[in-house]
Amino acid sequence: MSSKESCRSELRIAIRQLSDRCLYTASKWAAEQLVGIEQDPAKFTPSNTRFQRGSSSIRRKYRTHEIAATPIAGVSYVATPVMEEDELVDGDFYLLAKSYFDCREYKRAAHVLRDQTSRKSVFLRCYALYLAGEKRKEEEMIELEGPLGKSDSVNRELVSLERELSMLCKNGTIDPFGLYLYGLVLKQKGSENLARTVLVESVNSYPWNWNAWTELRSLCSTIDILNTVNLNSHWMKDFFLASAYQELRMHNESLSKYEYLLGTFGNSNYIQAQIAKAQYSLREFDQVEALFEELMRSDPYRVEDMDMYSNVLYAKESFSALSYLAHRVFMTDKYRPESCCIIGNYYSLKGQHEKSVMYFRRALKLNKNYLSAWTLMGHEFVEMKNTPAAVDAYRRAVDVDPCDYRAWYGLGQAYEMMGMPFYALHYFQKSVFLQPNDSRLWIAMAQCYETEQLRMLDEAIKCYKRAAACNDREAIALYQLAKLHAELGHPEEAASYYKKDLERMEDEEREGPNMVEALLYLARYYKLQDRFEEAEVYCTRLLDYSGPERETAKSLLRGMRSSQSILPSMDVERFPP
Amino acid sequence: MSGIFKQPGAFAITPHKVSVCILLKIYAPPAQISLPFPFSSVAHHNRLGLFLLSLTKSCDDILEPKLDELIHQLRMMSQNWMSTWIIDQLMTRLSSLSSPDDLFNFFIDIRGILGGPDSGAIEDDQIILDLNSNLGIFLRRCVLAFNLLSFEGVCHLLTNIGIYCKEEFSNCPPYEAPSLDDSSSNLETYSEYENMDLENFVYEKVSEEIEARKEANERIPFHLHVPNTLLSLVDDIDVPVDSASKQSEKVRVASPYGDPSSNMLRDDDPSGAVFLRTNWQVQGYLQEQADIIEKNGGAVSLNGFEIVLRQLRKLAPELHRVHFLSYLNSLSHDDYIAALENLHCYFDYSAGTEGLDFVPPAGSNSFGRYEVALLCLGMMHFHFGHPKLALEVLTEAVRVSQQQSNDTCLAYTLAAISNLLFENGISSTARLIGSSYSLFTSIGISLSVQQQLFVLLRGSLKRAESLKLKRLVASNHLAMAKFDLTHVQRPLLSFGPKASMKLSTCPVNVCKELRLSSHLISDFCNESSAMTIDGAFSTAWLRNLPKPTGSLLLCPENGSGSSSNVSQFCAQPTSIPGSVMQVLGSSYLLRATAWELYGSTPLARINALVHATCFADASSSSDTALAYVKLIQHLAVFKGYEEAFSALKIAEEKFLSVSKSQILLLKLQLLHDHALHRGHLKLAQKLCDELGVLASPVTGVDMNLKTEASLRHARTLLAANQFREAAAVAHSLFCMCYKYNLQVENASVLLLLAEIHKKSGNAVLGLPYALASLSFCQSFNLDLLKASATLTLAELWLSLGSSHATRALNLVHGAFPMILGHGGLELRSRAYIVEAKCYLSDTNFSVFENYEIVIDSLRQASDELQLLEFHELAAEAFYLMAMVYDKLGQLEKREEAAASFQKHILALQNNKNEDDPLVSVL
Repeated sequence: MSSKESCRSELRIAIRQLSDRCLYTASKWAAEQLVGIEQDPAKFTPSNTRFQRGSSSIRRKYRTHEIAATPIAGVSYVATPVMEEDELVDGDFYLLAKSYFDCREYKRAAHVLRDQTSRKSVFLRCYALYLAGEKRKEEEMIELEGPLGKSDSVNRELVSLERELSMLCKNGTIDPFGLYLYGLVLKQKGSENLARTVLVESVNSYPWNWNAWTELRSLCSTIDILNTVNLNSHWMKDFFLASAYQELRMHNESLSKYEYLLGTFGNSNYIQAQIAKAQYSLREFDQVEALFEELMRSDPYRVEDMDMYSNVLYAKESFSALSYLAHRVFMTDKYRPESCCIIGNYYSLKGQHEKSVMYFRRALKLNKNYLSAWTLMGHEFVEMKNTPAAVDAYRRAVDVDPCDYRAWYGLGQAYEMMGMPFYALHYFQKSVFLQPNDSRLWIAMAQCYETEQLRMLDEAIKCYKRAAACNDREAIALYQLAKLHAELGHPEEAASYYKKDLERMEDEEREGPNMVEALLYLARYYKLQDRFEEAEVYCTRLLDYSGPERETAKSLLRGMRSSQSILPSMDVERFPP
Repeated sequence: MSGIFKQPGAFAITPHKVSVCILLKIYAPPAQISLPFPFSSVAHHNRLGLFLLSLTKSCDDILEPKLDELIHQLRMMSQNWMSTWIIDQLMTRLSSLSSPDDLFNFFIDIRGILGGPDSGAIEDDQIILDLNSNLGIFLRRCVLAFNLLSFEGVCHLLTNIGIYCKEEFSNCPPYEAPSLDDSSSNLETYSEYENMDLENFVYEKVSEEIEARKEANERIPFHLHVPNTLLSLVDDIDVPVDSASKQSEKVRVASPYGDPSSNMLRDDDPSGAVFLRTNWQVQGYLQEQADIIEKNGGAVSLNGFEIVLRQLRKLAPELHRVHFLSYLNSLSHDDYIAALENLHCYFDYSAGTEGLDFVPPAGSNSFGRYEVALLCLGMMHFHFGHPKLALEVLTEAVRVSQQQSNDTCLAYTLAAISNLLFENGISSTARLIGSSYSLFTSIGISLSVQQQLFVLLRGSLKRAESLKLKRLVASNHLAMAKFDLTHVQRPLLSFGPKASMKLSTCPVNVCKELRLSSHLISDFCNESSAMTIDGAFSTAWLRNLPKPTGSLLLCPENGSGSSSNVSQFCAQPTSIPGSVMQVLGSSYLLRATAWELYGSTPLARINALVHATCFADASSSSDTALAYVKLIQHLAVFKGYEEAFSALKIAEEKFLSVSKSQILLLKLQLLHDHALHRGHLKLAQKLCDELGVLASPVTGVDMNLKTEASLRHARTLLAANQFREAAAVAHSLFCMCYKYNLQVENASVLLLLAEIHKKSGNAVLGLPYALASLSFCQSFNLDLLKASATLTLAELWLSLGSSHATRALNLVHGAFPMILGHGGLELRSRAYIVEAKCYLSDTNFSVFENYEIVIDSLRQASDELQLLEFHELAAEAFYLMAMVYDKLGQLEKREEAAASFQKHILALQNNKNEDDPLVSVL
């Protein structure tokens, strides 16, 4: 990794350039990373390092993937020279245009720059036109919703923009920002391959434009495409790869990338949030919660990604924390889809499903393609026993993103609820295909096979085996495997699974009816096998429990003793009657 | 379902509607006395009125016509200079709308056309739109919709009008009016309306239709759709049903993969100027496409149609039926994964609430009808050849429909299951059905597959009858008839005829069952108004508008193309639904089969012919193929192989892609027969093996094919004089038939055994077999087979010695009426030869006196055998003939017969070096 200092200076220049071109999101992102670079504690006052220490302690506590001490072999970072600025020939007009732009008067800004020819002005004009078209498009989408949900509004500036940009591109008088815009236009037009090459060119010549990277990421929909993209090595590439891996559900790879980046950008909220996201996908809720608590402390008015935090809080059923979070985002910005989603989650946890649906609907009104809101709304409908509505909501989620395993799973559940287990299997299969390491999905599928209507026990066993193989947290799979094997008359397998289950329960110090059942089965099994010593061990353990099992154990012991008493040298005294 | 998101929409004002308003203004300018300017006669004026009416009728838009299309229509409609004037007016008025205020003024003007409530005071010949007329209502709706617009809406309208006009100006090579010669006839046809009160006339017609549509609407939004599919699947998998346009069908068949997708959103008729645009029309279009896909899936190009569907999906995301069409499309192209996806997608969205043709039970809860999804899924698995999966799904469907007390679905599901059992004969259904279907569990007996099938069929029939699902009843009756044909209901307790035993293989019974199903037609005629696809109707209506109505009936110009239009147009309101046609068609096929078994070939042939000529359009390709197969078989038996093979070629071309197996089977059968007759035993054996390979390896499945193959195997062995092996094969075949209750086949196996013994010279052993076969035939009404058995019996007697010749002769004569009336070439010539032999071996018969009888029958026999190229028997006939001539001393004729004998014998022996072109086809 290049030195922190060089990163810092690169970013400082980039931020200026980006905000000069009104690429605000990118400059925001860059500024976040700039502040995120870990300071040398010797040089700075303690007030500056406060957050830093806290966050590193969190990291120490939860670091699962040790940072690779050395960067990936053979990577030497190309120091991209910072771009030379055009001279301020068109300075006055540009300043006016930028002011208009800042006031969101895009058309006006474009008009001011109509005769300017410097690259910067051309970019800003095109960008302003593009945004004007986008704004109009959004407005039209609401104005024009037709009878059958048709909304064919398009950005009307796209055609002329494409013409102009492609000409510039041919002339070779296009700068990386222009390329970014060109890529954006091409992507909207639907010519993805060309858009990809243009964007790659853009990021290779100017890597600090995070907007370009995100567009590129959305165009890399499979790992194969990602591998074919030819990128210069730059530390920005690591950010890109990390987020692309995340998008492709390669969470561990993404996590290790982020951990590696933390070496330089130790204080970056962005990275922290992304790590939280990856951990969330890996279902490490405790870590996620800690990360978000830290994030809340350092960045209390953050709304981005907070819906995930609310999901974690929901899963952990922390009412007050969730309500606190909801209140906070509500005060910050109530018209963000994330805020509505968080409030919806809160109501859902409270069991007020109608209200929760209302808030999810609001979130969807703000962003029709807001995936998790669709899925969560489906969950709510399931709770409200309105399965058709649930199916509809889930299906829309699936249409937004066909890789959303939660929605597929929800569909399966809905159909299972309706007593159509065989039909539901299709959906479970889909979700399992997308998320093969999630034991819950396997268990759901197994239960489907196990239902009274299907009784396809062999298939159920296969599913439970998969579930047991991928870290089944609730420990359902082992027990079910044992039970199914017992039912099917495979005593050896049943016994071995009971034993495993028992070991697990001992490890986790859990007690319960399952424990008793396992002990009883094992005792009986070993007795039948004439392995009295093991049988005795289990029987004695059973004696610790009250209830009918205790009596059964006693009678088993008695039975064994009587059969053993035929044999000589048996220590009867150990079990006084 | 679910009530998420908005209702399908209100009446929105669009550029097209603005144009219509302009035209209305031209039609009825305010304060104009008598005819307004451009119109030279009332007829012209009325014609524009009619046109406007048709435009207003189609205002539930999904896709509206563009301006150039509208102009094109206008040109089609009226005389040249007049239409140009109207178009000019339209264009100038449209382009003069340049600010929102122009629009406001325009709509205020428009209001002036409408007569006030005091319109009675106006003079008679003033043209004024009645407030309550159709056009008036349309205008009022437009004005209202405009007044409801927000300012943004007005702006949008303005921009859209700009785009609408620009498109026209940009692609404006002025249309050459294609219907120059139409105009004169227009004049004539419309003159008859001259004195009529146009508004009233049209209004009546339209309001009738609106009523009908409303009725249909109330009952169920998408009327025909699923039931067709269901029914068709119930009856036969790649089924069809169609009342749709022949013409488009032809076009598609001609260029299966080449149809230009851009063209498809319109119609295939390029001059028809018909646009798909109303909701109803889109649904009609979808319906039509569904029919075409179901009828002949290969004819619709997978990707081309998929593009159209994608467009539709974009235009109308809430029209979920598009997903179903996608499903059908991928189903017909055997794309399993896509089909599965689309099916699930469709039912996730629609929750099964679109489609089935009955009113959902009142006060139904919000639970969707997902059992329909299960039913469809089951049939999909069936189609893709996963009977186990299909059975699982259908069992689930039974359970869910019982839970939801959806009896209709239950009835369909039961029918589907019985169809599945019928086709595939799954052996282990006991668990599946036993657990779900209460009837079995209550009995608690494990039943054989056939018995289960029977019980299922009965149950399904009963349900369908009580629910008055007519089409299902009909197809259930068909299934019952089919069952009756192939299964004997009570196993024989002992051999021999029993007067008390009533068996249903008798064609009369089958026909009785079938007649029950054809009662439906009259029922459907009564309710046809509700069954009409409204969309299709209005498409046809609009399409035919530009053409003069009078000439439609005579259809002078366009020949076949327009005549199909005519039939469609005229037949539409009263036509019988395609599914009914199909059921009827298959009833004829079943009749044919029944008669075939019974032994009356002419009747069988007539029924097959009826099917091939009358129902070819409406029925599935496999049904049609079956009819062809029957006809070709008939040809082979009665006209010899040459004709049969040439017919087969035609059939092969026709059904190449669709149902190969049936035609292939026929081809193998014909080739095998042919080879046997010509003595190509090696080839025969090869063909026979190929036939056997077609059957599934699972025991108890494809029994028909298996029995056929081993029957032919035994025959081949017999022809090779390997009697022991032949007898062994026949024995095992008999055991199999007995085990699976295939009584009809048993009779022919017994007959074969008798033949084997006869040929091996053990006439005494053969006699009991022949007698047993005879009794089987008698009890199953297999008359032709019985005649054949009688013949064999006669031969057996004859071979026992000349003392039995009279008895044999009597037997032959007894069978003669049946044989001559219904038998094929081979049977007839065999009978002739046996008769001749009987005469010759009869000691009382003097050749010198009655030689003509013998010679006549021998000549008949030899002629027919030569047609069949049956060398062995032909040689025998010629030999006998030569002997007779020898006895008579007619040396010349003797030599001739002997030469023929030699020819046949040589042909029989030297068959190796001949290569048959037909065989190489294989």
